[in-house]
Amino acid sequence: MQIDDKSRETTDTPKRMEMFSSTGLGVPPMPPTAANIKDLGPASDSPTRTSIQAELDARAEGISDEKPISPFRASLRRFARDRRAVISLIIVVFIFVASIIGPFIYEHIGPTIKGGFSSNIVEGPQVYHDPIHQELLRSDQPPTLAYPLGTDRVGRDILARLLAGVNVSVQVAFLVLLFDIGLGLIVGTLAGYYGGLIDTFLARFTDLIFAFPALLFASVAAATLGTEFTDRLGPSGRLILVSLALGITIWPQMARYVRGQTLQLKEQQFIEASRTVGTSDRGIITRHIVPNLFSIVLTAATLDIVGIIIGEATISLLGLGVQPPGSSLGLMISEAAPMIPVAFHEILFPVLTLAIIVLCLSFVGDGIGDAFNPRRKD
Amino acid sequence: MNVFAILAVVVLLAFIAYATARIGPRFMVRRLAGLVFVLLGVSFIIFILGFFAPGDAVFTQLGQHYTPQAAAALRHAYGLDLPWYTQYLNYLNRLIHFDLGTSFTNDTRTVWQILQLYVPASVQLGISGTVLALIVGVPLGILAAVRANSRVDASLQAVGLVFYALPSFVIIPLFFVAMVSLHQRGIPTLATSGWGTIDSEIAPIAIFGLGIFAYYLRLTRASMLEVLGQDYVRTARAKGVRERVVVWRHAFRNAVIPLLTAVGPALAFAVVGVFIVEDFFNIPGIGEETINAISQRDFPIVQGVTILLASAVVFMNLVTDVAYGLADPRIKTQ
Repeated sequence: MQIDDKSRETTDTPKRMEMFSSTGLGVPPMPPTAANIKDLGPASDSPTRTSIQAELDARAEGISDEKPISPFRASLRRFARDRRAVISLIIVVFIFVASIIGPFIYEHIGPTIKGGFSSNIVEGPQVYHDPIHQELLRSDQPPTLAYPLGTDRVGRDILARLLAGVNVSVQVAFLVLLFDIGLGLIVGTLAGYYGGLIDTFLARFTDLIFAFPALLFASVAAATLGTEFTDRLGPSGRLILVSLALGITIWPQMARYVRGQTLQLKEQQFIEASRTVGTSDRGIITRHIVPNLFSIVLTAATLDIVGIIIGEATISLLGLGVQPPGSSLGLMISEAAPMIPVAFHEILFPVLTLAIIVLCLSFVGDGIGDAFNPRRKD
Repeated sequence: MNVFAILAVVVLLAFIAYATARIGPRFMVRRLAGLVFVLLGVSFIIFILGFFAPGDAVFTQLGQHYTPQAAAALRHAYGLDLPWYTQYLNYLNRLIHFDLGTSFTNDTRTVWQILQLYVPASVQLGISGTVLALIVGVPLGILAAVRANSRVDASLQAVGLVFYALPSFVIIPLFFVAMVSLHQRGIPTLATSGWGTIDSEIAPIAIFGLGIFAYYLRLTRASMLEVLGQDYVRTARAKGVRERVVVWRHAFRNAVIPLLTAVGPALAFAVVGVFIVEDFFNIPGIGEETINAISQRDFPIVQGVTILLASAVVFMNLVTDVAYGLADPRIKTQ
């Protein structure tokens, strides 16, 4: 066996943990205890032997000083040190939470205005802060006290529509991720663990999906089956359809990551050991493989959210996703595009919101990737 | 049969024959089988989506002349009253003969004619944009790799991440806003719509290129970093070879190979960009036409475009694989 200097240097606990968590295994070997150091017996004269002894001493000291932290904790700590990722995460969470609870607060904020065609109807914020309420006499207004981000071309409140639009993004992202992670985990682990037919199926299906422009598939599906889904499932039917279409195009990538990781895990000693003591295949997969897929699934899922949000916005932008008078970031952009010469704030706000969400999520994804897979090469 | 189809088949066959002779039949047979499978799958999915779509081409075509008898007669004429598997086989049969059918909404035009009319602008946009992205992205990627972990690298990576992550429909509106505000101050601006003149082509090509250059930047950087870390590069440096020669002759040549694999996926990636750019800039390209066809349920066009795109992606993948095999003899044995 070749002993190289680098591996000897990584003796303190956090660094060592980093090493193990980097393989995504999360199963460090037993830390050396005082007892098994003594077993080595007296140090011999050979330099290698003494250095090993010294190293083990150092290791034992390091362990007695602080509790060993789990690889997951170590990764979290590394993530917390990445300031850009943490700030981005805070911003994204704030935007997402605002889109969910924001409308309930927002409908109580604002002065009463006189609306209607003859400006004689007294309206409170709960009326004109509705994302589909139109005030045609107040269309294309720049930001005012009543409309913090102005109004669009039919006099709807842009902030209310932004909140509703982000809410749609969040819903779609949630639905697609459920589909993505569920199917990706099941097919990926089975393909990696058993190989054979399901592996071939995954490979062929992935080829198929990669050759089929995802956007085209989702658009065609939304256009052909949109009315059907709306009829059967009500107004949110179209959203479910778009999510389903995006999910179908996105899951093979996740399954491939999971498969690759499962293939690696399968060869590890702790799996072999577990098989030796008679654990069933099901037990090995659910208890030993799936928990160790956490970091890779988390990383892939964060980056997938970016793709999903952009995908939904694209489909709505092309007029095939969310239908007016509903709101979506993509729909807002396409509705505001002709108004750029007159009132460019109408397009600026949805575009900037989307840009902030996408960039922050990318930074978070980068940070998670670095923190949970430190050896990952970009 | 038209000239383009014959030309395409001849080029394809010549390429396959050449590659088979160079790399060996086993590799090629497996690749071709995969290709056929993917094309069959894509054609089936797109056919089934069209088959189960509500709404009927016959209904649209007859308009006010609609009677149940006339509709039945027209359905029979189009073969739309047959069971789905017969229809699919008929569809495949026509595909093999390069017959993509006739547009539902414009029955004087075949899908081929429509493709010939609209594809050139899209291809021009796609290729010019990609070339621009390569010209900008690859050298910057090399720069980032050579100066790895420096301030230059960090800022290049940050810029790369921003343009890689942002979709083109975020960048284009911002560009439009800038153009409008310049115009209002009397400063001459680029055209923001149309196609065919240099003035109108600069902006869409530049924006499309900007959207994908970061992809090549990241790829080149990663690939170069890997090569630069290898022993033979160290040896070359130890021999006293000048840094420029090390980077360009020793490292870059080998770093190009992984870049090649990105061509196929990049094509599929580019399609989305082309669609969006055409939509915003009113370019008479296939993207714009497809979006219209999708919303009008003009399935022959949608099917034709999908098959064309899938064939392009699959064919690019084949070329990549073969180029890989030609460049690296070890691939053959796998």
